[in-house]
Amino acid sequence: MKPDVDIVMQGFLGTLLMDIAPHLNAEYSVGNVSIMGLMLFMASEEYDRAADIRVAENNEMRALFAHAAGIVEDAALKAKLAAAAATTDGSLRVRTLNEGNAALAGLLIELQEHAETSKASWAAGLEARIWDWLVASTERRKLPLPSFG
Amino acid sequence: MEELAPRIAAYLAQRMPAASNIEVSGVSRIHGGASRETFRLRASWQEGGKPVSRALILRRDPVASLIETERDLEYNAYRAFHPTGLPVPEPLYLETDLSWLDRPFFVMEQIENCQAGSAFNAEPYGAHAQKIGHQFWSHLGHIAAADPDKIGFSANMEPVAPEVCWKRELDKWEQVIDEDELTPQPVARAAIRWLRRNPPPPSPKISVVHGDYRTGNFLFDGEGNIRAILDWEMCHLGDPLEDVAWAADPLWAYEQLDRPGGMIHRDEAFRIWEEASGLKIDPVRLRWWEIFNSLKGLAIWISAGKEYQEGANRDPVLGFSSWYCTDVHNRVLARRLAEISKEART
Repeated sequence: MKPDVDIVMQGFLGTLLMDIAPHLNAEYSVGNVSIMGLMLFMASEEYDRAADIRVAENNEMRALFAHAAGIVEDAALKAKLAAAAATTDGSLRVRTLNEGNAALAGLLIELQEHAETSKASWAAGLEARIWDWLVASTERRKLPLPSFG
Repeated sequence: MEELAPRIAAYLAQRMPAASNIEVSGVSRIHGGASRETFRLRASWQEGGKPVSRALILRRDPVASLIETERDLEYNAYRAFHPTGLPVPEPLYLETDLSWLDRPFFVMEQIENCQAGSAFNAEPYGAHAQKIGHQFWSHLGHIAAADPDKIGFSANMEPVAPEVCWKRELDKWEQVIDEDELTPQPVARAAIRWLRRNPPPPSPKISVVHGDYRTGNFLFDGEGNIRAILDWEMCHLGDPLEDVAWAADPLWAYEQLDRPGGMIHRDEAFRIWEEASGLKIDPVRLRWWEIFNSLKGLAIWISAGKEYQEGANRDPVLGFSSWYCTDVHNRVLARRLAEISKEART
């Protein structure tokens, strides 16, 4: 599909702010157009990277669960971790990847809570690894704002 | 918007029996507090044989909003603080009868020839940053110093004891996340667990908490004078450090940790607040409220995302705050809690 979707969305941002907004009389409408323009800019970035981020996140969480399944003592949690580690993404459609991401994130919450309250020798290391992953994940998902300078 | 004009005029006529020939013009919706529909308007009338004209703001309950609040909370805050000299608009009428404008609303003075800074600008106040910063933190100190009973703020306000005010707020916002999250939130859940395991020391006093005191929620004039502190929808009684931490939250003005809200240096800001409030900033309590406030922010943005996704409110600002502000607060909280977690384990 040409022109590229991200190029089109960024073009629309320019049209909204430079061509359409100045011709609007209602302050509320101008504000809405500006917000929509910013969101088009963010969506242009997300369009390009969405599948890549989700596939990476899902695979990293599975690797983390495979590691954790080998060290946690709780049998029920161990089984859940092993099962989740063995899953795969059924499709590269973003909605499908999101569903898998949500299921894995739910288990990550359970694992992190378990590590936080454990006195076992592995707990500090696992907790640190989870935090390192969460920090990296939130950095990777950082949304851009356009520069008007 | 003009279809509202005759209905507003009819309402004002009922509230102002001494006025005649009331006309309402220039009704225009503006962005101003995402929990209410805000309209700017001008009312003109005859009174005592003389023409009178006044610029007004009307805030009407929406069908669904970013923040679910009672409109009388905000109105009563204006009524409590207006006589104290704190710059707030004069509140005029609170109306809960749905027959006038379909939903409850209130009317207040419009502060003219002013602007609000944007939280999405690294320099929201330009050359006035220093002057505005001094006033911003001083006013917040005065809010903390005010006696909630004496100024009438406590009336109809749920009381709270110093040792449990943190828990009340945390319970409230955790419930919002429980009810509104559309996807699991690992960072928010970790924050909630940390906050419960590490409660703050009790506040030495219970103060008025504005609840949303920040860049963008006050008006200033061309000389850099703060003329109106707005958006009291989330005001309550509690620990005054809750407001300090929210005002200094990294979300406002591009995550500038040392210059909260894009105004003055954090150390100077806190010194001014301490001087104006007569209170000391306890770093342990402040840290708790800083983490709490980033979580509260997440709860608000998560809730906004649900409203938009489910079609209850398709205001673009709800979609934007759910995307952008969730992104910022997740990053802020993850970095902060990762540090704390690793320190605690060593």
